[in-house]
Amino acid sequence: MSTRFYKVLRDLSSDSAKSLMLILSIALGIFGIGTILGSYSVIQREMKDNYMGTVPASATIEVDSAISKEIIDSIKSIPGIAEAERNASVVARMKVGEKWYPLLLFVIDDFENKRTNKYERISGVTNPELGSILVERTAYGMMQAKEGDELLIKTAHGNPQKVKLAGTVHDAGLAPAWQEQSGYGYVSLLTLHSLGETQGFDQLRILVSEHNDSETHIQECAQKAAQLLKSNGYEVHEIQVPPPGKHPHQGQMTTVMRIFIVFSFLILILGSILVATSISTLMVKQIRQIGVMKTIGANSTQIATLYFLMIVMVSTMALLVAVPLSRMAASSFTNQLAVLLNLEIRNSLIPNWVPALQTAASILIPLLITSLPIVRGSRISVKAALDNTGVNPNSVNKNQWVIKLSRISFLSEVTRLSIRNVFRQQARLLMTLGLLAAGGAMFMTAMNVAEAWNENLKLIYVQRLYDLEVRLNEPIDTDSIVAKLKKLDGVARVEAWNYTSTSFSKNSEFEITRTYPDKGHGSFSMQAVPIGTTVFNPSVVEGTWLQSAMAREVVLNQSSRGYLQIGDSVTLTIDGKPTAWRVIGFTVDVGSPALAYVSFDAFSEVTKLRKKSKMLRIGYFDRSKQSAYAKNKEVESLLEKEQAGINATIPVWLLHNAIAAHMKVLVNSLLAMAVLMALVGTLGLMSTMSMNILERTREIGMMRAIGATPATINKLIIMEGMFIGTFSLIIAFALSLALSSYMGNKIGHLAFRTPLSLTISFAGMGIWIAIILVGSYIATWYPAKRANRITTREALAYE
Amino acid sequence: MNSPQTKNMIELTKVSKSFALPAGSFQALKEINLTIPSGQLVAITGKSGSGKSTLLNMIAGIDKPTDGLVLVNGVQVANLSESALATWRGKNIGVVFQFFQLLPTLTILENVMLPMDFCNSYPKNTRRERALSLLELVNIREQADKLPSTLSGGQQQRVAIARALANDPPIIIADEPTGNLDSQTATSIFELFASLTKSGKTVIIVTHEKDFSAYFEKVIAIADGVILN
Repeated sequence: MSTRFYKVLRDLSSDSAKSLMLILSIALGIFGIGTILGSYSVIQREMKDNYMGTVPASATIEVDSAISKEIIDSIKSIPGIAEAERNASVVARMKVGEKWYPLLLFVIDDFENKRTNKYERISGVTNPELGSILVERTAYGMMQAKEGDELLIKTAHGNPQKVKLAGTVHDAGLAPAWQEQSGYGYVSLLTLHSLGETQGFDQLRILVSEHNDSETHIQECAQKAAQLLKSNGYEVHEIQVPPPGKHPHQGQMTTVMRIFIVFSFLILILGSILVATSISTLMVKQIRQIGVMKTIGANSTQIATLYFLMIVMVSTMALLVAVPLSRMAASSFTNQLAVLLNLEIRNSLIPNWVPALQTAASILIPLLITSLPIVRGSRISVKAALDNTGVNPNSVNKNQWVIKLSRISFLSEVTRLSIRNVFRQQARLLMTLGLLAAGGAMFMTAMNVAEAWNENLKLIYVQRLYDLEVRLNEPIDTDSIVAKLKKLDGVARVEAWNYTSTSFSKNSEFEITRTYPDKGHGSFSMQAVPIGTTVFNPSVVEGTWLQSAMAREVVLNQSSRGYLQIGDSVTLTIDGKPTAWRVIGFTVDVGSPALAYVSFDAFSEVTKLRKKSKMLRIGYFDRSKQSAYAKNKEVESLLEKEQAGINATIPVWLLHNAIAAHMKVLVNSLLAMAVLMALVGTLGLMSTMSMNILERTREIGMMRAIGATPATINKLIIMEGMFIGTFSLIIAFALSLALSSYMGNKIGHLAFRTPLSLTISFAGMGIWIAIILVGSYIATWYPAKRANRITTREALAYE
Repeated sequence: MNSPQTKNMIELTKVSKSFALPAGSFQALKEINLTIPSGQLVAITGKSGSGKSTLLNMIAGIDKPTDGLVLVNGVQVANLSESALATWRGKNIGVVFQFFQLLPTLTILENVMLPMDFCNSYPKNTRRERALSLLELVNIREQADKLPSTLSGGQQQRVAIARALANDPPIIIADEPTGNLDSQTATSIFELFASLTKSGKTVIIVTHEKDFSAYFEKVIAIADGVILN
């Protein structure tokens, strides 16, 4: 090994505390990248494998009556269709403790030989007998039950009955039950009939034989099948073509991961800036050594190589620490995400490109960022290096404004000196400020976005002035029920609405939606609202809200508006029939799927329902969850007494919980990022501050020699730290505003299809200010103490 | 590794150097003419600010003249690029500093080996032996594996001289090499320098010490940028 490399090694090991800090600051970034990318790559792969493993139907066709076995065979013979299967799904309710929850029942034709949307059997029976059901594994939590238990369930038209939970399956195509705040069960048609329903298999699922990733091709095939059904006397309600090959949460997952990847790289860049600051300080400290090395024959390239080598060594050590740790963290993060997405991780192997990328990033990014100070430091002339006093005479002269600023009359001499000292090493000042500002901005952004998220979630209660939504089986005359409900103690508002699933009528014969089999993801419904509603407080962002009772006007929310403009005419299907509407406004709804709002009366006229209604919305005086629990029960028992035929009840708190559960991991991860940021930022602050002071040990000796007391020197140094900290706060705050609005936009679109409002987290700001002030104080306190402890003679001799 | 020996190791012709200072231009050297033959021990003397260090920097290629010609060992120093200059200096000039300037994190032995590493002179496997024999020459071989901070000033200066000799340069220059040493140690350092001229080296020393004038074959007194004698 060359002699010069000994120097690199010894320089690193001689100040092991600082070297460890440098290694740590790079390692944090590499760790973040490895954790995120590692779990991202595994989850992406497993999500696809799991989902494709279920053989998801290319399309589902919903019809009005029971599909016969014969028609299935003729549909299978249509060219382009590989497989067809009949199916049904029913929303029932289950009683858990004292409360009723939704229970999504899938009615299976052939349990032994399922052809589409398969599940994996975990335990118990395969073919549930009459009066028993199979349960999706994540639903037991919602049911508060286990395999073999009995569960009280009630279908829309039947009486409450106990069913046996006879077996357990894993259905990778479904989101976890707790996320949807609903149960999942699989029953035979016989069992469904025994529960009081009379319907048959009214859904047809098909698999296309080729181009199974083309939405258009699938739609074409599905329409052929629909045509055949129609010609056999079936009325086709809807064709559902979910995005082919895509797990319902795939898009969401990708966006979340991308945000985290950006954050991880930012941490690495932050760490690299810290290393760059340290290296440039080291080079300033070693400037005489550089001069000496040049005198004895080293050229600039050789000098630069020495310091670059130092970076590579730091990076390599960071890599050795970070890669194994990140793999462990990635595996635990993967498992958490798998729970969140209801996936079974069959292969947890992290692909090799992840460590390869970590390696490349950990070497290249720090090299790139440190290259400027290193090249500049190594090109200094021998004479300048040997004559160096630590102050660039040109830069001092240039900063007239600093001198002027520091001359403000009420400032003491010590304060003036502090201000001028801050600007002595301008390049380092810029890097320190950059580091602190970037760290602060990201910390505050993470906190801001987390808070904006919670604020937005609260909007659910602001927009929805009702606490319970009751969906009825059939449209009924609700006047007397509404009157009775209003008389209930604690009920503030009751309104009768209507709803139906809808779609924009394209020039095709059938209604085509992108709804997934769980009926929630990708759905589009029309809601008929009484004019002057008191249970809904729409956030209209453009145009106006519904005002005229009889006008054929529609207001669309952010998920349904697409590229439409105010004044456009649209054709929306109701029960498969096209109806014409004019767009008068757009709203932003929190936590709603795609919706089209129309007037209740206009809807009644179009559907000839004559004021009958299918939906009740009830608001209470006391909106707290505890109170709503009790009230919901009262309302439900009243409705049962009136024989209203409840299809589903959806408490608003349940909706709130479901949305919060969807994104909980995101918000928590953002906060974890904030903590990492704070860690790197504090490290950076401490190191640059203490380096600033260490470098001036000789000058401090000189000041002591001319009569400065230790107290004066303490004050001088700590004030300098505070100045830098305060400057960085201002920049960080400005940056965080821009970053928060960007991130809020991304995350908001992901969750609500609308940006999160820019929210400033005062807690985040306060914590960061505290970190900076306390950090500056501690970071300067130790070197100041040290500078004061050594004797004047030692200080003057300090190199 | 010597370049071909010339009769005059160093030749300065009408060399001027001025520095631009905020207060105006300052002329450190004024049309200096100087020749130093090889194998001599030469002293440069003068008060602080007289221009003696600037003169030394001109010879070592650490600084370039504003005007005039500097020829060292047959090479016109001002014409070399910064990178070529570094290698040339490493091989042709051994520099000894007043404050020794050993690299603190390298051992004595490694400090002496470093110039050979930078200039890629001598085969790798012989460098250690050469460094040890140089340390032997300056009488400090037994300290080879120690760090500079554990040595006394005189010992450190011996190491610095061994380091200056590492690439076997024809010229050794030293800027007040004994300024920081007691007189007994200083004497032994001067004896060391004198012995180097016997092996053909040209040694140029900036010094205040009048006591050692007996060692010098030539004394160049300088004041206000002009050579007096």
